[in-house]
Amino acid sequence: MNELANFLPTVLSRSGLTVPSALIPVLAMFLCASIMAAFMGLSAAVLVWAERKLAGHFQCRLGPVYVGGKFGWLQSIADGIKLLLKEDIIPDQADRPLFRLAPYPVVIGVLLAFIAVPFSEKLMVTDFNIGVFFILAVLTVEVFGVILAGWASNNKWALLGAMRAAVQMVSYEIPMGLAILPVVVMAQSLSLKTIVAAQSGGALHWFVFQPPFFMAVSFLIFFIAGLASLKRAPFDLPEAESELTAGFHTEYSGMRFSFFFMAEYAGMLLVSAVASALYLGGWHGILPGQESVWWFLAKTGFLIFVMIWIRWTLPRLRIDQIVYVGWKVLTPFVLACVVGQSLWATLR
Amino acid sequence: MTAVTTYFSDVFKGLWTAMVGMSITLRYLFSKPVTEMYPDVKPKTPTRYRGIHVFEEEKCIGCYVCAKACPVDCIEIGVVRKGKEIKITKFDIDYQKCMFCDLCCEPCPAHCIHMGPEFEKASFTRRGTILQFATPKTLTEEEKKIEKIAKK
Ligand code: SF4
Ligand code: SF4
Repeated sequence: MNELANFLPTVLSRSGLTVPSALIPVLAMFLCASIMAAFMGLSAAVLVWAERKLAGHFQCRLGPVYVGGKFGWLQSIADGIKLLLKEDIIPDQADRPLFRLAPYPVVIGVLLAFIAVPFSEKLMVTDFNIGVFFILAVLTVEVFGVILAGWASNNKWALLGAMRAAVQMVSYEIPMGLAILPVVVMAQSLSLKTIVAAQSGGALHWFVFQPPFFMAVSFLIFFIAGLASLKRAPFDLPEAESELTAGFHTEYSGMRFSFFFMAEYAGMLLVSAVASALYLGGWHGILPGQESVWWFLAKTGFLIFVMIWIRWTLPRLRIDQIVYVGWKVLTPFVLACVVGQSLWATLR
Repeated sequence: MTAVTTYFSDVFKGLWTAMVGMSITLRYLFSKPVTEMYPDVKPKTPTRYRGIHVFEEEKCIGCYVCAKACPVDCIEIGVVRKGKEIKITKFDIDYQKCMFCDLCCEPCPAHCIHMGPEFEKASFTRRGTILQFATPKTLTEEEKKIEKIAKK
């Protein structure tokens, strides 16, 4: 963003516009925010299409085929227009202000987290020195929105979904946060840029492939906990279509519903992006010296594919099983990884 | 097994079975979809499919056997007989009633009514579901007198 702020005056003066210098940072901020929001919306649209297409093929179906020609690639745009045109219904007994407020924390949480994602060495909004921590922190804002939505809907299914989201969050947030520690120990930094830079020099320098493989285990744990944080199958209990109608967003329609929807898919992108930055070498290619944003996007895309793949393979867990997995499996394993990695780092 | 080994084997089994399931779905991902693009591409109905009847008017002798055989009485036949000449003036099958049981086709002495491959005959009106198989003919007054219409 700072580069953009330095760069903007030249662009502006070339195009003959005069902007007071005090406004330049504001303008840069505004530009970054709109680019990120557009990126998030677009990627959500693409991901929804990809998910439906892949889901079809995983089940020997075709998925969308009609809208926009051969592959139904305009399907999510059509869905988006449909959602925009739909009536925004607020239930009579709902808590109106809270009901209206609830979708925003969900979207804002994900959108804020995108700020710290390092797409490539240059292409990132800003490099926080506590980038990873920041992402984890703002992602939890999403859960507030979910609980708020469930509570304000005044609907038993929505409330059940929200309670499940709360229970689930308590059990996966801890392993997710701890899973990052081995990487931080290894890279000696919380800044995502530094972490990715520490993995340069080919696939063997990526943190997943570093002996003694504590980071490979924590990658797995981060990924599983990430799935849970996104409320995706097999951890989709807060939504659980077959039991809870649609869980916390049962009562939402139109634009507000699409906010939840968009946040879920943008969240997929975010968790995959963070995982590939932390463990899979970010913008570094497989061979030493390869560096490009495309590598980053390819790894992220692959992780998203795995998420979709898992969703269309595994059945939903029970809530007690999720708590069991969170507390009794992921947490001890990730603690062992943290201790092991720290010992390895000190003894080496 | 002690609790500890059970725990570790459970964790391992959980991961392993998830992987087995994922390998299966991956196989399905690359297998051919079974989707039939129905309204665009019409599916091939199997031989001996019991669809809308096929009626060969020139062979029919107007004997009403099919109408009698029909358990729901949905065939209506009109015939004009003048010596050896046979005119089928009406051969209607009411597909609101027909259950595609094939009982009308078997007893036909002239083998002129069959179950066909066609199945798209839905209609928005009740009249539209009564299909007329006989070619329309104009009858003379004399012929009208001797026309026999039989339901059963
Ligand atoms: S198929 Fe059965 S129900 Fe239909 S016309 Fe023939 S005998 Fe009647
Ligand atoms: S049984 Fe055959 S020949 Fe006789 S009326 Fe029916 S279709 Fe015609």
